[in-house]
Amino acid sequence: MFTAVSAQSSFFLALLFLGLGSLGSACLWKKDAAANWWGNLCAITASVFGLLSAIRVLLGGAAFSLAADSPLGALSFSFTVDKLSAFFIFVISLIALPASIYGLGYVKHYYGRYSPGVLGFFYNLFLAGLFLVVSADNALFFLTVWEIMSLASYFLVIFEHREPDNISAGTRYFIMTHAGTACIILAFLVLYRFTGSFEFDVIRENFAAVPAYAKNIVFLLTLAGFGTKAGIIPLHIWLPSAHPAAPTHVSALMSGVMIKTGIYMFIRILIDFSPGAPLWWGIAVLLIGAASSLFGVLYALTEHDIKKLLAYHSIENIGIILLGLGSALVFWAAGAESLAMLGLIAALFHTLNHAVFKALLFLGAGSVISQTRTRNMEEYGGLIRTMPYTAALFLTGSLAISALPPFNGFASEWLTFQSLFSGFGSFGRSVAGVFALSAGALAFTGGLAAACFVKAFGATFLARPRSVEAARSRESAPSMVLGMGVLALLTLVIGIFSGVVSRVLSVVVADRPGFSTVPVPVSVPAASLSLGSGFAAMSLPLVFVSLAAVSALVAFLTYLATAGRRVKIGRTWDCGTDLTPRMEITATGFSRSLISIFRGILKPSKQTTIEYRDADSRFFPQTRSVKLEIKDVYSAYFYRPVERLTMALAAQIKKIQCGNVNAYIVYLFAALIALLVWAVI
Amino acid sequence: MDFFSAQFLFFVQTLLFASVIFMHLSKKSASVIFLYQVQSLIVACLLLGSALAESAIFPLFVAVVVCAVKVVIAPHFFRRLTRELQLKFSASTYLSGPLTLIILAALTAFTYSHFFAPLSTLNASNARALLLAAAMMLAALFLIVNRKGALSQMIGILSLENAIVAFAFLSGLEQSPALELGVLFDILMWIIIATVFASMVYRQFGSLDVTAMNSLKEE
Repeated sequence: MFTAVSAQSSFFLALLFLGLGSLGSACLWKKDAAANWWGNLCAITASVFGLLSAIRVLLGGAAFSLAADSPLGALSFSFTVDKLSAFFIFVISLIALPASIYGLGYVKHYYGRYSPGVLGFFYNLFLAGLFLVVSADNALFFLTVWEIMSLASYFLVIFEHREPDNISAGTRYFIMTHAGTACIILAFLVLYRFTGSFEFDVIRENFAAVPAYAKNIVFLLTLAGFGTKAGIIPLHIWLPSAHPAAPTHVSALMSGVMIKTGIYMFIRILIDFSPGAPLWWGIAVLLIGAASSLFGVLYALTEHDIKKLLAYHSIENIGIILLGLGSALVFWAAGAESLAMLGLIAALFHTLNHAVFKALLFLGAGSVISQTRTRNMEEYGGLIRTMPYTAALFLTGSLAISALPPFNGFASEWLTFQSLFSGFGSFGRSVAGVFALSAGALAFTGGLAAACFVKAFGATFLARPRSVEAARSRESAPSMVLGMGVLALLTLVIGIFSGVVSRVLSVVVADRPGFSTVPVPVSVPAASLSLGSGFAAMSLPLVFVSLAAVSALVAFLTYLATAGRRVKIGRTWDCGTDLTPRMEITATGFSRSLISIFRGILKPSKQTTIEYRDADSRFFPQTRSVKLEIKDVYSAYFYRPVERLTMALAAQIKKIQCGNVNAYIVYLFAALIALLVWAVI
Repeated sequence: MDFFSAQFLFFVQTLLFASVIFMHLSKKSASVIFLYQVQSLIVACLLLGSALAESAIFPLFVAVVVCAVKVVIAPHFFRRLTRELQLKFSASTYLSGPLTLIILAALTAFTYSHFFAPLSTLNASNARALLLAAAMMLAALFLIVNRKGALSQMIGILSLENAIVAFAFLSGLEQSPALELGVLFDILMWIIIATVFASMVYRQFGSLDVTAMNSLKEE
């Protein structure tokens, strides 16, 4: 049936279903179950059509466009779905599909407390915004749909509006996203000033006419505007609070997909519009990527709020994507197009992979939260017994994000490493130093991410329950397990077939202006992944088969060795004291030693409180508690000083409002005279 | 003799300008109201003369309405206000008399500087009168700024409006009579509301001195 529908029709059918989902959910706002089913089923259908449309364009189909003029002059409703747009539509649909399946079960716990109709309205609107952002072909239309996406996500962040923290997180998100949008508007206005159009095609054709200083301004505004959405350091402060505040399947989309729209626009503007960008653009992106990846994972280590931990890992992974993109920019500036292609493939590959495993981890965390009613990992423990499927699927996501083979995270990080190593050997001392620094940051990040997920998985699923809710927890609803299962399977499939995926991504990159004649740097001999230059090669199918074979062999040998023995279950020797959950290592305790290593950056503070049994004796403590806090250095050293300066300026400016009518007329009078003088001069 | 010769118009504009200067110097409310009445009468006469010269009925009607609103009704409202509120003197200023005159001289000199030269090109034959009308606008605006009493400020606003009408007349930027009638209606409504509002303010604060209303400011 679906083969009869063209890529263009599929795309518009997806938008149609999202529109129906949005309006239908709003109409059904009084009927919780019906609104939940309608909203999520429409999103599921739209995702299927989105996947169909994207796959058709990616696998050789032609790009399609549609433009309709509006009565508002420069604004035109222009869409173009080329291979880059198709790739991002694919990623959006790929995550939206399991997230919506998961939503069918997850949204039930809102019945009677919050309106699933309202959630369905904004959820579908948000997805429509995502689809349109990556297909808009006119700057004004882009800004319109960007705003729809931002506002819809804002309302999703504050959906659980009775929680004061969510309102605070939403406000922070609202302010930061609009500060970013202001930069984006300025960037497009600068481009309009020199190209005379808001149409992307015209901007692309006339970009050479933009003076160098204006290009640099556009780069900085792009970095600030889209970097805010992507969550790069130090513009990330909204992300760790906003992502956890939203309903879990929305968190998965925000963290897995929405922040990637910033990456999409980086590629559009820095690669598509401006071929041959200056070298320092790439260096800047590399350094920001290295900082974001390293600091993101360090802050994740300090978290015991499971959703915040995952949100910080999003910052880390955006950093890894920027390492690929930055290396591509540097290579392109140096005329090494093939290596630039490799860097861009690595960036796109990690974009896809992060979307998949981060969505899986968020959905897993949401399942745990829906059972335990808390995001605090210190109150979990032992959930592997009550939620075995969720535990297995969360473990899969943890392995993938820790870049362990044969899962997908390993493949894209491997490609990023190859790109960085190539840069190390291709440039002079200073640029090679930046590549070395970036590679070091990536290696460090990988190790810390693995440690972080040992903590997250261990504290959540292993040992004994540390709260009554954890002890009473049950496995998630089938639709929730199914949603996670699809994503877990994808982490493995994409990893094993990383060579094939890389080839498809090379087609996406070759579609960019300036890359069409560049030799493809990756090849796929016998389903393995090899760099065209012979610089490096790996075979994840072989790794998978080897791991499976070794596991089977170990299992078989264990069976042989223990087949004749009886299993005896006895008490563990406990020094005469009953084992309790208080004896387990906590998430905070696990990360404490790592935090102390990085205390220069993280600025931890420790408060120890001891209560003694006897007021006169200090030998027999009754309770001892340790409170470990991490100082938010970005708030303390950047945002707070900016806030203080703004408030001081505001206090001075407030004096203008003196309450005297005469003074106000003096302002008018002075403004009038100044305008007259200015007009003549 | 051409009734609207450049010399005659400059003379008329000088009278209008002088009326604003005298308003600045005047200390009594009654004098300020009288000066406004004279000023409005001159403006109405200009419009009346123009209508008669063109033998047009509608502009004639507008001129008569201008006369009625500005020369009769507005002064009547203001006099009644001063009678009711015992506002014999409402001429408290921020700046002293000599300083006020120095600033007025500076403003007039400024309007005759090259910054205002583009305005004189609107009607080259009335260039001097046009610049004086611009000086009148600034002087009226300065009247609003310098006076503390609400009544003087209201008359300052109406003088500014007269200055704009004179400027438009001299530059040939007159609008259609229907539009002028609309503006007049607005002015009439504004006068009524402003006087009622001034009465209410007086009852609340016991003064029409705007500096006494500082407590309205949000803390």
